[in-house]
Amino acid sequence: MSDPIQDLRDLHALVVHPRDRSADELMQQVNRIGCNFDHMWPVPKTLPEKFDLVFVDVTDQNAQRLKSFIGSSPKSPSVVAIIGYENPSVLDLIFEIGAHSVLMKPVRAAGVLSSMLMARRFQQEQLHFEKDLTKLREKLDNVQKVNDAKFILMRHRGITERQAYDLIRKQAMAKRATTTEIAQSIINAESILSNMGDT
Amino acid sequence: MESWKIGLLFSVTGVTSIIERSQLNGALLAIDQINAKGGVLGRPLEPVRYDPASVVKRYGELAEKLIVEDKISVIFGCYMSSSRKEVLPVVERRNALFFYPTLYEGFEYSPNVIYGGACPNQNSVPLANFLMNTYGKRVFFVGSDYIYPRESNRVMRNVLRQGGGEVTGEVYFDLEAEAADFSGVVDEIMKVKPDAIFSTVVGQACIEFYKAYHLAGGDGRKCPIASLTTNEGEIDAIGPEASAGHITAAPYFRSVHSPANRRFLKAYEEKFGSTVDVTSCCEATYSQVHMFALALEETGEIDTECLREALLGASFDAPQGQIKIDPDNNHTYLQSRIAKVDNNGEFVIEAKVRRAIKPDPYLVFPAIHDWSFRTLKVAGGGR
Repeated sequence: MSDPIQDLRDLHALVVHPRDRSADELMQQVNRIGCNFDHMWPVPKTLPEKFDLVFVDVTDQNAQRLKSFIGSSPKSPSVVAIIGYENPSVLDLIFEIGAHSVLMKPVRAAGVLSSMLMARRFQQEQLHFEKDLTKLREKLDNVQKVNDAKFILMRHRGITERQAYDLIRKQAMAKRATTTEIAQSIINAESILSNMGDT
Repeated sequence: MESWKIGLLFSVTGVTSIIERSQLNGALLAIDQINAKGGVLGRPLEPVRYDPASVVKRYGELAEKLIVEDKISVIFGCYMSSSRKEVLPVVERRNALFFYPTLYEGFEYSPNVIYGGACPNQNSVPLANFLMNTYGKRVFFVGSDYIYPRESNRVMRNVLRQGGGEVTGEVYFDLEAEAADFSGVVDEIMKVKPDAIFSTVVGQACIEFYKAYHLAGGDGRKCPIASLTTNEGEIDAIGPEASAGHITAAPYFRSVHSPANRRFLKAYEEKFGSTVDVTSCCEATYSQVHMFALALEETGEIDTECLREALLGASFDAPQGQIKIDPDNNHTYLQSRIAKVDNNGEFVIEAKVRRAIKPDPYLVFPAIHDWSFRTLKVAGGGR
């Protein structure tokens, strides 16, 4: 995982907020911190890909529109929600749009840096976990397939589990395929053969 | 005739009183000079001062007292970061204007504060370059245990690494540390034999550390203690023998040759009898009071909003040279100089950065090769 503090000045930030005192305070602080930034208002339809982090004023906004705006960038940016009220419906909204951290209005300089870093860190961690999870799911799937194939072989040939596995591995090496691919073919063949027996 | 009241929060007792007393003197001198010329718009400046006695909590309480009881909304004060952090919420809540004339570790901005001292980009990088080029790449860190030394060492470690340097040790001490407490680290330094020592020990402990190093046979001419905070005041207390050869990086030294500095020192001597305790923090305070008075001349009223507008972007012919308040971040463009203590206990300027350096309080990793940090050799010992 990259270090959010070290990469701070490479960030492209977007401020989606009406041009008022809070927006000015926020943009001046982002400038002091030393990030590139742009300002947009009202909430645009799509989010350009170059932005890594978005500050978005969620006051009186519709969750659906905000979600489609944030989701329109292929990069999945970090999102800092700017809120004017701390009531349950606003908090619900920031959960729904998947904000990574929050700034309270009126925005002051102190706290902006921490909220940016928290958002970056949280989102990077999330991405990391998602990736790990996908990998683990695939792996689990593969183990399951190889197991199934082993049992098929054991049943047909009357061999041990170890021997069945060695057979699959040898086949994989000879055909330059993965053990999962061989296992899949064995499972497919078995299902075709058993279907034939039925008819 | 009504006067303009301003608050001064500098400790004249306690562990950081050496340096804060010199800051107080800087402020008092500037006030005298302004009043001698007829004050601001015909009204004199009137300082109201309290002594927080170097107790961190007292700074916040006294700032509150100045604002609430004395009805003062312009305050000059603080040396340590921890004391500034006490004053900060008070001045923000009451919307007062606070001048902080001390170098610090950066990563702060408040619309209610004007920062007059250097942040790390303005002195750490030039110092690291100078140490590595002049003495070698192995540096030992010794600091007081609070936020400034730790952040300062983080920056220094990073800059050293970029230049291929190495940190050979890192030790922190209590602010109240005494001579005996330093014997262990001095022994270790003697054993490790670094090329230089980077010290962020402040206050009375700084004096004890330099003395302990000298007592153990440490020689500043061979392996100097380099610092951003050891000023003329401390060197005077350490004595010329134990301080010879040591290095300090700062925007100002007493030995700067300039008409503005000569005028400043002459006036200081007339008022206080001697200039031995003139330091860069004293000079920063002096300049900040003058800049405040010039802004007040323009606004005609003590109103935080108006004064801030007048101050941002303002420049001043300070004893160190031209300085300017950066409208982007309320910090100050400052000169950067590196000086070595000679055998008489006087700083001799060895190198300086050609132009005033823009403050960059949010710089996480200063780059060592940035051209704007390059220093030039100074001939004749003071420019």
